[in-house]
Amino acid sequence: MSPIAVGEREIFEIAREVFDAMIPGGGALEEWHGDLPVQHEPLTAWVAFHGPFSGRAVLSSERGTVDDLASALLGLGPDAVVGDEDRLDAFGEIANMVGGNLKSLLPFPGTLGLPEVAAEPPADGVLLEKLRLSWGGRPIVITLWSTDSAAAALSEGSTLQ
Amino acid sequence: MSLSAESFEHVADLVLRRSAIRLAPGKEYLVETRLLGMARERGLADVEELVRQVRASGTEADRERIVEELTTNETSWFRDQLPFESLREHVLPRIVAERGPAARVRVWSAACSTGQEPYSIAMTAAEVLPPTASVEILATDLSDQVLAQARSGTYSQLEINRGMPASMMVRHLVRSGAQWQVNPDLRRSVTFRKHNLLDMLPLGPFDIVFLRNVLIYFDVAVKHDILRRVARVMAPGGVLVLGSAETVFGMDGEWSRVQAGRGSLYVVQRPATGAVPSVATGMTHTHRAAVVPALARGGQE
Amino acid sequence: MRALVIDDSRAMRRIVSGILKDLGLEPYEAEHGQAALALLEDGLDPALACVDWNMPVMDGLTFVTSVRARPQWRSMTLMMVTTESEQSQIVRALAAGAHEYLIKPFTPDAMRAKLEILGLVRTETHA
Ligand SMILES: C[S@@+](CC[C@H](N)C(=O)[O-])C[C@H]1O[C@@H](n2cnc3c(N)ncnc32)[C@H](O)[C@@H]1O
Repeated sequence: MSPIAVGEREIFEIAREVFDAMIPGGGALEEWHGDLPVQHEPLTAWVAFHGPFSGRAVLSSERGTVDDLASALLGLGPDAVVGDEDRLDAFGEIANMVGGNLKSLLPFPGTLGLPEVAAEPPADGVLLEKLRLSWGGRPIVITLWSTDSAAAALSEGSTLQ
Repeated sequence: MSLSAESFEHVADLVLRRSAIRLAPGKEYLVETRLLGMARERGLADVEELVRQVRASGTEADRERIVEELTTNETSWFRDQLPFESLREHVLPRIVAERGPAARVRVWSAACSTGQEPYSIAMTAAEVLPPTASVEILATDLSDQVLAQARSGTYSQLEINRGMPASMMVRHLVRSGAQWQVNPDLRRSVTFRKHNLLDMLPLGPFDIVFLRNVLIYFDVAVKHDILRRVARVMAPGGVLVLGSAETVFGMDGEWSRVQAGRGSLYVVQRPATGAVPSVATGMTHTHRAAVVPALARGGQE
Repeated sequence: MRALVIDDSRAMRRIVSGILKDLGLEPYEAEHGQAALALLEDGLDPALACVDWNMPVMDGLTFVTSVRARPQWRSMTLMMVTTESEQSQIVRALAAGAHEYLIKPFTPDAMRAKLEILGLVRTETHA
């Protein structure tokens, strides 16, 4: 359905590498089996893609999980208190690593926006892929969105000819 | 249930007989972690149960798999840098100077793991050999699993990041989904084959042999036996490259160490009688101690 | 030996600086290319700069190009440390004057290997 060479498998491989290399402890990233629990205090981080493909890669999880991701990324102890700025920055950087690597699989030449973090992701766009993952039993969801309108996609296509 | 002493001994014995890798007492945890995946695949509760089942009714393939799971396949691109620097700056230019622009260079990468070592050799050769020269690299390992990846030449981003210079990445790799693949040209210069170092060695003669980070798993007697047999497949003056923490300790008179720039290599010591032309050094060994310009002799061990 | 770590993520600056410190370098930090240039103008004379690509104010490629335009900074080694991972981006960065390229995510090992390639960390030699 999507005109791009990015599927669940690529997203999973990339996310897994990010976690393996940069986020020690907490175990490898795995597929989530079964229904997702209701998220308390959801937090979302995303980066936008611009160019022949426009869209965004979005990570979402619970604030508590994000705090643990941040302290693992920063190499802080398990009981460290994570400040607001560190939480937003670390989560944004994880989205940036996933998104940046995904960009290399999207039509060339695209550019990457700077990471953003908020309670809710932007509401526009068409959902292309959704991966439900488990980080040591805690859910992390990665989604890939297209924000091209059909018309925009067509005119992009024709300028490329 | 944790692994019983009897099951550990069974596995250790199997691995020792088939690969020469010695799993000393105290390595029970290693057996348990490495074989857990295999136990799970079969729906077994733990490794103890797996070992019992394989002992009772295991196939040849099961035993082979156990040995493979217990090999350590840690490797990286241009591992330790210096051996590749020696190849680039000393060994390969010497061979070309000796044999001319149409030189054929034969290399063996023994215990090549997932292929980073032979491909790093191929990249180094592509850098310094004239287009008219050719390099043939034979790369072998005991494990089918690592050879499968090595043959496909496909690596994750993390694997590529470990030691591959950016210039090489641009020149010799192509993107393949989220992974990277060695380009077909380079893949063609390496032949991968399954081979156990305890078996008869591949036919030489080899100008260059990489035998790195594998002898460390073996007993001294096995190590000496392998090095003795390797000596017989070396081309005259051929060079042997060991791991950065490895030496030919205890084999004075058979191998000697030479310095090639900042890196160390080993050459076979020829008998004192009769001069044997030395390919890599471009000199002649007339006696044990060869003093050569490019490969100034290093300290003896 | 001084090193300058240029990244808009403070988490990433801390990670890169931590690894460099473990390898015996003395890291300084800047949050974008412009801030890094200001440090250089002030006389900070690092042997190495680790440069992110996508940053606000001044991106890493512009920073590399600016450094290369100044002869007095010629001896500075430049390494991109970025999520930009298309081969064509690596080619662009090298052409602009970067010496090495490390793709995020990376392990401390990978950083070490790159610094060995660059001759900034000693490779193990036989005794
Ligand atoms: C640590 S890796 C070394 C890879 C590479 N030479 C390097 O230095 O990076 C050791 C390799 O030796 C292989 N190996 C162990 N015992 C062997 C044997 N008896 N015959 C052949 N290969 C063996 C293992 O399968 C493993 O891939």
